[in-house]
Amino acid sequence: MRYLMTTKESVGAAAPDEKLMAEMAAFVEELTSAGVLLATGGLMPGGPRVASRGDDITVTDGPFTEAKEAVVGFALVECRSKEEAIEVARRFRRIAGDGESLIQEVFDGCGG
Amino acid sequence: MRRVTAEDDARAAVAAAWKLEAAKVVASVARMVHDVGLAEELAQDALVAALEQWPADGVPANPGAWLTTTARRRAVDHIRRAQRLERKREQLAHRCPGEPEADGDDAGHDSHDVLRLMFVSCHPLLRTEARVALTLRLLGGLTDEEIARAFLVGRTVIARRVADAKRTLAEAGVGFAMPPRTELAERLSSVLEVVYLIFNEGYAATSGDDLMRPGLCLEALRLGRLLAGLAPDEAEVHGLVALMELQSSRSAARTGPSGEPVPLHEQNRGRWDQLLIRRGFAAMLRAREAGGPPGPYLLQAAIAVCHAQARTAEETDWRRIATLYGTLERLLPTPVVRLNRAVAVGMADGPAAGLALTAPLAEDPALRDYHLLPCVRADLLHRLGRYEEARREFLRAASLTANAAEEAFLRGRAAAATTAARPAGMPTLGEAVRAFLERDGMDPGTARSYGQTLRRLCRSLGDELPLAALTSADVARVFALAWDGAAARTWNRHRSALRSFAAWASVGHVAEGIGRRAAGRERARPLDEAEFTALAGRPDVALRERTLWWLLRESGAPVSTVLALDVTDLDVRARRARTRGGEGWLTWGAGTAEWLPGLLAGRRRGPVFLAERRPGPGRPPAPGDLCPETGRGRLSYERAEYLFKQATAGHTLRRLRVGPRPPSRPSTS
Repeated sequence: MRYLMTTKESVGAAAPDEKLMAEMAAFVEELTSAGVLLATGGLMPGGPRVASRGDDITVTDGPFTEAKEAVVGFALVECRSKEEAIEVARRFRRIAGDGESLIQEVFDGCGG
Repeated sequence: MRRVTAEDDARAAVAAAWKLEAAKVVASVARMVHDVGLAEELAQDALVAALEQWPADGVPANPGAWLTTTARRRAVDHIRRAQRLERKREQLAHRCPGEPEADGDDAGHDSHDVLRLMFVSCHPLLRTEARVALTLRLLGGLTDEEIARAFLVGRTVIARRVADAKRTLAEAGVGFAMPPRTELAERLSSVLEVVYLIFNEGYAATSGDDLMRPGLCLEALRLGRLLAGLAPDEAEVHGLVALMELQSSRSAARTGPSGEPVPLHEQNRGRWDQLLIRRGFAAMLRAREAGGPPGPYLLQAAIAVCHAQARTAEETDWRRIATLYGTLERLLPTPVVRLNRAVAVGMADGPAAGLALTAPLAEDPALRDYHLLPCVRADLLHRLGRYEEARREFLRAASLTANAAEEAFLRGRAAAATTAARPAGMPTLGEAVRAFLERDGMDPGTARSYGQTLRRLCRSLGDELPLAALTSADVARVFALAWDGAAARTWNRHRSALRSFAAWASVGHVAEGIGRRAAGRERARPLDEAEFTALAGRPDVALRERTLWWLLRESGAPVSTVLALDVTDLDVRARRARTRGGEGWLTWGAGTAEWLPGLLAGRRRGPVFLAERRPGPGRPPAPGDLCPETGRGRLSYERAEYLFKQATAGHTLRRLRVGPRPPSRPSTS
């Protein structure tokens, strides 16, 4: 099963220091070689927003005020179970410091 | 929103952390105790401790490190206890690593230990199912229950397999060392084989109602990716990973809405998983970087790449695929590879060319019950417009597969291929056989015996074959394929079953091609020169078997005489040996002479041909049958015969003897 893990920025969190970066890199490396982590990346804040209503498509340029709700990172993981996905997220959070991650199962039984 | 309770949470965390860390924990303990089975038990103790403590104390900051430390502590306790008990403090001292060090102290060892663990759990000493079960347990952290569910067997079956495997490893003193450089290639290929087997069991579920068991594919992919990280210089490892990633990329597309298989050329390529395809391509690049001539996994991955690169089925480069299969066939001339090549050639050069390649395969006993052969033939026949033959082949394929979804699909294709309706009132072979066996006055013993013969006929020719279309040539072909190597008595028993059925069904002519065999013709035809050379030259034949077969061939001596030889009976330079009892000599030629010294490897006493492993405590052999140097027993007739049958699809060792060549009297002495 695949899960998409998204991370929201936490208010007032300290900027990542060198130690955090090194730990995170090791963590990503480990999970990738174990075949758990399929894709991951950090996201730029803001960006254009595309909305549709009926036939109308509206494109709005960011940044947006509710920045604390913005997703700042994602990881696509392949896990045996939800519990395993939670365990992965738990490790991630331990390194990342304060904040919040959301785990959602990806539909379709593909990939294994 | 439901919030999970702290205790549930902790239990789930224990189970998940265990699966993610099992390999490292077991490997790290195995390095201390030099016994993989014991290491696993100690690691399991740590798991139990976690299940007790975490729900109460909370999940530790680093669950993996906690499990490792706890397991290593148990190992130290174990070693101390063993030392006290056995009073062998000095001898064991160098093995004891002392207290477990702080977390993360031996990250450098980690990866080597896990690789060693893989080598041990895939040890060639173990039977294949045992390697698979042990690998899933030790490297994947799966429970017996989970493995049993994946393989559709009872939990006790797996538990026994694992326990037997651990005992075998302990008894053989396998320990926890890296295989010597000379054995590395062979041992690595054993690991790859196990991983691919797990993958295939999941991908092409051979039994059960689901076409795939995705859990096993995922386990295999993880093992493969893990192995690729541990042995990055091995092209075949990356080749295997690429192959599995690429095959997995198609898994969502290869079953239809009701679980039926969708053939590759009809798959919706939009459902292929681009992420996995990209991973497959990346693994291919790493394989190329590792260099060396392409091995079987890399070639199969290259074929998968061809499919992945084609945006539509029509764009598939069948020419290149046929060429790749040609190369693969030279490395791995298995019937299945030859069959796949026939498919590719059928696409590149037309169905007639493909069908021609399948003809010799139909004669191969190894494919006698392989459902994909009639399946491929049916497809080619269908494309040639030979619908009636296609229909029969589809039905035959359906009756041979053990997978319910596939069977339904094949029956559907057979129905579609029916063009001309069968004339009313004409029974099929299957119907006639059933009526014959169930008729009044048939006693059960006879029905059972006749049933063996007639069911073989049905399996080989198809239940649906109209009885009127049965020819004596069909029947002769089945007989030759199934029982040509059998004893005259067996042959004649099948023959009388056939004649009885044919007379009853008023198709007496179909039995005409089957002659009676004289009972004196007990000895099967010996292998001819070409057959023998091909057999003895096969790269997968072990040294012991190679030497034994050459010796049987060149000496013409009975199997029991050759197996009874001791090293002290041999006169290697004169190429002869005194036979048991000293009544004569047997001699050999250049073939045996080439391999014999390697087999003896300097041994001066004991049996010439030794069993693979030391005898278990239950069955001590006679002292004369025990090698005093290696502790191994004499190779048994049964085992030698079994291995020969495995290698030759059922021939007996006696077929190696060219002619009666009784032991000769010594000319000089």
